[in-house]
Amino acid sequence: MSRRLEPVREPGTGSRSAVAPTASAPAIPATGTDAARQRLALAQTALLSALVAGTPAPEGFDRTRLGVQSRALTAKRSAVVAKVAPELPEILGDDYRPAFAGYARNRPMRGGYRQDALDFAAHLLAQGRPADPAARQRLTRWWRDRAGPTPPSAGPAARLARAVHAVRQALKGRWR
Amino acid sequence: MVRQGTDIERLGTGIGWRPEIAAEIAGLPGVDWVEVVAENICPGHLPVALRELRERGTTVVPHGVSLGLGGADRPDAGRLAALAERAEVLGAPLVTEHIAFVRAGGPLTASPLMEAGHLLPVPRTRDALDVLCENVRIAQDALPVPLALENIAALVNWPDEELTEGQFLAELVERTGVRLLIDVANLHTNHVNRGEDPAVALDELPVEAIAYVHVAGGVERDGVWHDSHAHPVTRPVLDVLAELCARITPPGVLLERDDDFPEAGELAGELDAIRTVLKEARHVQAA
Repeated sequence: MSRRLEPVREPGTGSRSAVAPTASAPAIPATGTDAARQRLALAQTALLSALVAGTPAPEGFDRTRLGVQSRALTAKRSAVVAKVAPELPEILGDDYRPAFAGYARNRPMRGGYRQDALDFAAHLLAQGRPADPAARQRLTRWWRDRAGPTPPSAGPAARLARAVHAVRQALKGRWR
Repeated sequence: MVRQGTDIERLGTGIGWRPEIAAEIAGLPGVDWVEVVAENICPGHLPVALRELRERGTTVVPHGVSLGLGGADRPDAGRLAALAERAEVLGAPLVTEHIAFVRAGGPLTASPLMEAGHLLPVPRTRDALDVLCENVRIAQDALPVPLALENIAALVNWPDEELTEGQFLAELVERTGVRLLIDVANLHTNHVNRGEDPAVALDELPVEAIAYVHVAGGVERDGVWHDSHAHPVTRPVLDVLAELCARITPPGVLLERDDDFPEAGELAGELDAIRTVLKEARHVQAA
């Protein structure tokens, strides 16, 4: 869709404003719902942004309930990330859930759960966490193995490279 | 008067198929059909246990969670094609989705696209209903089988709503011909969390459009009902099922359990409790 709509409001502030769509080159034939879509988009974006990006609560919502909903979304997200990347709760132990909640508070999910797991690990490492050096080293290795341009499961060559890397790491560990 | 929905296939009693309880489900007596989360299956590589159920004649219905038909954007053609493909591969008599939005932002708002990761309630306004109706028609055109939509459980209330849940569903059905998947646990959730009486919702919504019913467990914490699907089914939820069955014999009822999976015996017990509600409703109807 190459439509540009204006005026544009700050996400998280608008609810039911009288913004008129001014589609200059609609990719889809205009239908009677365009204005309703625009108003609904702003309202839903304001709500979701408050729930997953930590922006202020839109007018008229019960703040306590927004908090409950926000925590429920984070708990669900954290559980799914733990399923797609079971190494993370293993490395982080009891810190996994609080650390994830801290990371997710104002960071919406951008590219699926695997990307979320990588972003979470990078966020911790950038802060020098976890504090335990062995755990930090494991997390660094986990992240490096997956964050490169080639996904770990790319093929036999990548598997071989990873196996060689793992053996080297193991040997290094023994001689230390 | 109790009515029987027309032109809707009879499904019977079923359970949500999850890989964690595949063995238990295979051994449960009297499971007429199962539902699978559409996004969790790969059409070319169906799990062996699911293929075996199909071979035994068990109906499998794909249940989508990512279309976001209640969102402001038109449904994504790729997601619709994926759902259609799963319906074909499974030989399903219908597919189901939710009345919810699951993402927001993007071009209409000039803000980054955000994924909710779960189902969020649509405001019951004229705007939202107009958008939903058009999205449903787009989805119906892309799907090879009838579509049924589920009412969701909500933790938050939109301010300034213009319609009740029953009115919203009734108009949606009238304008699109879509069928309904009524989750009685979600009606109970909206009772506890939003003060909405399930009996009123059932009075207002077109019960003859019901394709099937969901039953699930949850837990109340600090006056808020969490529709966890990880706890046993409670009496109040079965009471809402009984309320529904007093109005119509639903073509199908399905037990959902998504986490903290119990022993097979507990699942069998919950299916029996559901069958008992249906049987008692038939007695009341006959009397």
